[in-house]
Order: sequence, then structure tokens, then C-alpha cells
Amino acid sequence: MMLFWKKLASLRLTLVAMTALAVLAVAGTRSPAVDIGLTAIPLGLMSLNLFAAILTNRSFRTQTGLLVFHVGLLLVFMIIGVTVATRFDGHVEVLQDSEFDPAGVVVEQRGRLHHGALDRVTFLQGDIEVKYVRGLVRQQTRSTIEFSDDAGNPRRVTIGDKVGAEISGYRFLATFNKGLALVLRWQDDSGQTEYGAVHFPSYPQYDWKQLATWTTPAGQVLELELELEQPLLRPNASWRFERPDSGYSLKVRAAGELKGSAARGERIVLPGGALGVEDLRLWMAYRIDYYPYLPWMFVAAILAIGGLAAHFRSRYLAATRNTPAAIDEEVSRAHVVGI
Amino acid sequence: MSLAFEQQLIVVVVLLLATATFAGIEGLARGQNRQALISGMLISAVIVLGATIAGRWLREDQGPFLTMYEILLSNAFSLGLLFVIVSWRVAAVRGATFFVCPVLLLLAAWMLLVPMVAVPLPATFDNYWLWVHVASGKLFLGICLASACAACVLLLVPRAGVDRRAALTEDVAATDRAVWTLFMLAFVFHSLMLLSGSVWAHSAWGRYWSWDPLETWTLVTWLMLGGILHVRATFRNMPEQMGYSLVIAAFVLAFLTFFGMPLVSSAPHKGIM
Repeated sequence: MMLFWKKLASLRLTLVAMTALAVLAVAGTRSPAVDIGLTAIPLGLMSLNLFAAILTNRSFRTQTGLLVFHVGLLLVFMIIGVTVATRFDGHVEVLQDSEFDPAGVVVEQRGRLHHGALDRVTFLQGDIEVKYVRGLVRQQTRSTIEFSDDAGNPRRVTIGDKVGAEISGYRFLATFNKGLALVLRWQDDSGQTEYGAVHFPSYPQYDWKQLATWTTPAGQVLELELELEQPLLRPNASWRFERPDSGYSLKVRAAGELKGSAARGERIVLPGGALGVEDLRLWMAYRIDYYPYLPWMFVAAILAIGGLAAHFRSRYLAATRNTPAAIDEEVSRAHVVGI
Repeated sequence: MSLAFEQQLIVVVVLLLATATFAGIEGLARGQNRQALISGMLISAVIVLGATIAGRWLREDQGPFLTMYEILLSNAFSLGLLFVIVSWRVAAVRGATFFVCPVLLLLAAWMLLVPMVAVPLPATFDNYWLWVHVASGKLFLGICLASACAACVLLLVPRAGVDRRAALTEDVAATDRAVWTLFMLAFVFHSLMLLSGSVWAHSAWGRYWSWDPLETWTLVTWLMLGGILHVRATFRNMPEQMGYSLVIAAFVLAFLTFFGMPLVSSAPHKGIM
């Protein structure tokens, strides 16, 4: 059995696994034909190789720093595996003055062992403000949300560029993506009323194209165009993206033909009902992630780097401080026992 | 300090480094030691680069962290300064100045070809981990440069009865030890750069790793550094020249990752989102 572990601890195997990881990493990011997930194979091999080396390599018993580095590295690999299995990545757009809707979350990655409860997350989206400086360069983002923490206490948090909000283990991080949204009212011919919001394209990136498509409950496909009386963005000055207080109007087209225009409180009569313009608000896009084991990965990585630094100090730095004869002896010993 | 004056300072740096490079080549051809002259010019170039950064920082009210010009400027300064410090502390690598000057000359000449105009820093750059990430990255590349250039010294072969290495190093064994000591230290700082970069990315962009080209090639560089240390431990009879060549190859890969990748992929590491 020990022979098996000794063979698995081979430094040649380490080199093969490292090379495979490098090749798969480059191939996986350059070619869609290569799944980046294949890097799990050399990472798994390196983990086994590391475990076997820690078990059998006698040089680790005399080089504590090197041992700590390899143990830390093994822990990092193991936690990567756990993190990949339990992670959650997604994004969502949330309308100002409305509740977060988990059904609107677009899932990007969900680990097979993910056991979070995103369905139970609730918060109210408050004010949104993004500062820009000359040249349309984005500066501070401030997005305020209100929610109840795990103990049931009400909390009000401002999400910024450096700070996300953590709710039930999920972290909400503001992104560059945000824009304008119109709250609309649809009243059909029988008098039944529905409310909803149309999110226009990201602002200011698509300032020139505030267009959206919407299908009425009666089945008519409409092109909606938002027109602001005063432009929000100022390319050559500092400005803030926030809820506009100037006038605005909605133009509605169907198959390229203008069907009408409406300001706040007005409505446009269409086949099957009437479309009313209720309010102009903002929407904010959030990245959502769930990485409960990441702090442990950080600790393991710090442990590994600390071990490496200690190894450098004891084996390399000490050697350069010694006498020439001692140095030669030290270097040749280091050569024999490992790096 | 005006932009025009800043450009003139970069021209001065190019002239200093070009003169140092040619003085080194001429000295090597004659088998003469021009160490004092070359080192003096390198130190002068570093001082001018430091003054350029200080003047630009005061004018723009932000550090040189974003544009290609700023990346070249800050790295030319940090590489030069780190090498000066290393060669002051470790006499065995002083001969490597001969190889350091052309590398810095390349960066300085490149600076003259790219736009110098500053761009405001995105909000995601306001993060302490970014400072750790940038500092450890510069320490890694500077120490790796010293290691690789010392390896270049040892790769120079005797020709026509003249041991050209003698013009660059008097103690081959000490230079060999310095190559591997610095290489190991570079590996430590590279590991720290990877870790701090992940923490910053998780804080700024919501992901600790996303396989963007810069991240991928940085990982490949880390694997190469670790691989070379393992190769040295595995193949104990490996010719010395092979080991030095691998150290140089690792620096070339790191150099291309640092300065080549921003040309391929700008957005992920500039926070332009």
C-alpha cells in the first residue's frame, strides 16, 4: 500500500499534472470545443499527488515550511472542489420601489450540491444613484435596499462598489448595468387593470436607443420608445444617474407605425385596451453569488503562502547568509531533498 | 508638470538606457567591466522615472494604474528600482545590469508610442486589496527580472579564449545561488499576487476567478514557476544551462502576460464595465 502512495507521490507525476492543467486552462479559455471544467481532472490528480507526497515524502519532516505550503495547497484544491459543488452565480434586474422577485433571477452557474434558499430572499429596492465624471467614466454606485436579517430585524443597506449586501448567505453586488423603467397600466376593454414595468436598455450605454418591445395582453406586439425632455448624461461634465425629475413621454409603434404618444398620467388607446403611463423609475442589475466556503479558501491560501515564505527564509535566505562552505553544503542538501 | 515635459523626461530615460545598453555591449566586446557606468545610468533613469510618476500623480491626482502608458511607466520604475535594491544587497547579480537595461529600454521606448493621456480610475480600483495585488505583482516581476538577468549572465559562453562572463561576474557560484534564491522569492510574491487579485476580483466584480486571458496566463506562469522548481528537484543531473534557460523562459512568459495581455484583453482588468 505504501508503495502505491510513494508512486503516486512522484515528482514526475506532479510535472505531468501541472502541464496538463496549464494546457487545459489555455485550451479551455481559447476554444469553445474544450470544456474548462476538464481542468478538474489535473486538479484532482494534483490533489492526490499532494496527499501522497505529504504522506510519504520524508523531506517534508525536516522542512516544515515546505510541508505547510503543500498542506495549504491541498486544502485550497479541496475547498475549490467544495466551492464548485455548492456555488451559485446569477444576476437579476430589480425595479426601484418594488420587491426583489426570485423568479426573475437568471441562473449562470449552480453547483450540484447547492442547498441555498434563494426563494426565501426578500428585499425592497430603494434609491439608486451612480456618479459619473467627464468622459462618461463611472464612479461611485449607491443602491439602497431594505430587508429583514436572519433574526428578523429590519435593515437598510447601501450597496456600493466595494460593499455588497448578504441576505441568507447570498451576496448581492451592484453591477454597471442599470437603466430606466416605465411603470405601465393596461386596462382591457372589460375594465380589468394590470400593472407592470418595462425595463429600457442599460443607461448611459444605450442612451441613444431607449427602445423596448412589449406584447399587450391582447397579443399586439408594440415598440416602446422613451423620450426624456432633458438628457440625463453629460459627456463632458460630472453628473449623476438618478431618478429623473424632468418630463418624459412614451411613443408607441406597432409594425413601424406610430400609434400614439403619452406623458405621465396619459393613456393610448390600442386594440383590446388602453395603455397608461404611470411612473418613471430606475432599475438596477445585481450579481448574486453564494460562496460560503470562500473565507476558508482564503485562510488555506494564506497558510500556503506563509509556508512558502517560511521555506524560503529557512532554506534559501539562510543559505546565502552562511559561509561559502556551509552554503555549498546547504544548497546540495536542498537539491537532494527537494525544492 | 505638463504632458509635453513628461514626454521629454521619457526621452531622457530612453537616452540614458540606450547609452547604458550600448556601453555594456561595447564593454563586453572588449572584455572590460563597465559596471559602474551602466549602474550609474540605470540609477539616473530610475530617478527620472520616479520624478515623472510624481509629477504625473500631482497633475492628475491619481496614480499611474490604468492605461497602457501608465502600466509601462509604473513597471519601468518598479523594475528598475527593485533591481537597483537587489543588486545593492546581492553583489552577485550586479553584472545582470547589462541585461536589465535593454529590458527597461524596451518599456521606455514603448511608452513613446502609446497615448499618454490619463483616464479617471473606475470606482472598483478604490480597494486596499488592489494595492496588495499591484505591489506583489511588481515585486514578483522585479525579482523575476533580476533572477532571469543573472541567469543570462551565467548563460554567456566563453568565446575566442576570452571568458566574457568575467566581465559580468567574478563569482559564478554566488550568482548561481542568487538566481535560484531570487526565483524562489519571485514564486512567493507571484502566489501572493494571485491570492490578492482573487480577493479584489471577488470584491469588485463578484467573482474570485473567471478564466479571463490575464488570469489564465497568470496561472500558467505560476504553474511554470512551480514546475521549474520541481524540475530542478526531480532531474538533479540537469545541465545548469537548462535550468538558467527555464528561468529566463519563465520571465519571458511573465513579461508577455504583464505587457502583452492588456493588448488582447483590456476590460477585465481595467474595471471598465
